Amino acid sequence: MSAGAGVPAGAANRIITRGFDGRWDELEPLDVPDSSAVLVRDNHDAVRAVWAAASGDREVLVASRSRVTPDLALDLRDAGLAIVDGADVQPPTVHRDPVPGRVWLLTSGSTGRPKRVSHTLDSLTTVAGEQPRRTWLCPYAHGAYAWWQVVTLSISQPGQDVLFIEPDELDTWPARALEVGVTAASGTPTFWRQALYRDPESIAALPLEQVTLGGEPVDQTILTRLTEMFPSARVSWIYASSEAGATIAVHDGRAGFPQEWLGRELDGRAGLSVDDGELLIASPKRGEGIDRVLRTGDRVEIVDGRVLITGRLASDEINVGGAKASASAVRDVLQSHPAVVWAAVRGRKAPIVGSIVTADVVLSGEATAAELTAWCAARLPDYSVPRRVRFLDTIPIKETLKSDV
Amino acid sequence: MSALSRDAIRTMMAEVLQAQGKMMPEDDAANLETIGFRSLDFSELALRVEDEIGDELNFDAPELRQIATISDVLDFLEQLQAA
Repeated sequence: MSAGAGVPAGAANRIITRGFDGRWDELEPLDVPDSSAVLVRDNHDAVRAVWAAASGDREVLVASRSRVTPDLALDLRDAGLAIVDGADVQPPTVHRDPVPGRVWLLTSGSTGRPKRVSHTLDSLTTVAGEQPRRTWLCPYAHGAYAWWQVVTLSISQPGQDVLFIEPDELDTWPARALEVGVTAASGTPTFWRQALYRDPESIAALPLEQVTLGGEPVDQTILTRLTEMFPSARVSWIYASSEAGATIAVHDGRAGFPQEWLGRELDGRAGLSVDDGELLIASPKRGEGIDRVLRTGDRVEIVDGRVLITGRLASDEINVGGAKASASAVRDVLQSHPAVVWAAVRGRKAPIVGSIVTADVVLSGEATAAELTAWCAARLPDYSVPRRVRFLDTIPIKETLKSDV
Repeated sequence: MSALSRDAIRTMMAEVLQAQGKMMPEDDAANLETIGFRSLDFSELALRVEDEIGDELNFDAPELRQIATISDVLDFLEQLQAA
């Protein structure tokens, strides 16, 4: 699919946002300058901006208003983009010709200020070939890479309808999804955990044929839970980032990917390798200017022939008196306890040993801190066992649908 | 929140040991190595005290000393709260 290449193939697909229920080609395109960063209030604004980009020779960035600080807005203007915030338009400080079809994304910014990554509608479109007819749920943050994945699928493929939900609908979406007839849903593991924790009966009632996870490390516990809940659905997890694009898709219901994928060279597929415990990706879907072989900063472990992506290298290691505890390993052990629905693990500054392992936990059943400690002690080295366990009432979830607390 | 009493710290120390499946002896002269109270346990106890008083303990303040017995632990944490 290319900008200016005629009517997109998915133009007749149904899209539903708060305030709109119709086809892509029935949307009123946003009237914006040819190079714009569109700060959106909701998905309706966002899809109108997308439709303007898809049906014209434009350059666009779509982001929630809450993500764009004054400093970032100035950076965007310096990069030649007008800032469109409702009726208010701030011109770019640098004037240049637009690059038709260019789509800017902001990285999650979890390790600092968001960076701009340049894609095109083509590089964001990663699903090719005829697809089964589906109605997707899109809960992702406006303009995020995963959001664009669902959007470009719907624009480029006939029969791919989308129900968009807003951040304030995360508690109520199952009823709406059932009413609309959602058959495919994509979300982070935290999104799914929260949904299963809050309203498992409503989730189980959905006629899902496709369940997709991504955006965070995907562990076996959540995959198994979803596979058991939707035995006839395909349960997939996807590794994707703004920089690398969507590079790994696994459909066998298991965590990690097969070890034999490492070093494999196939046309159109990402090259995967591991260096010093870090995942490296050579992606044909990477953003413009991104290193051909990208160091992802994600930590991997190879266990029983599977390459498990466990978390960020920078935040995974907890130094406990010289011994190295892995936060992700502790989190996975806690989340494998039958009464634990969600856990986050981090180091806490402590005398003598430097740091000790602590955990925040949300329960779906009965368990005491002592029981969880014993569960971990039976499965982890002594220094990795959480010494402080705090129980939370709800699963913390950010607009990115991630926990990263 | 006010400082914890020696008895309250002693109770917490017993809880830390209990979580490790160990017993707190009656005698405060008992040797830490003998009862299996290790660096990690001491760290956990310090954090429990911090959580209870709602303040960080300043480990740089008191003079370094030999901590070999239950009594030494209780003295040290009492002193830290006052620092």
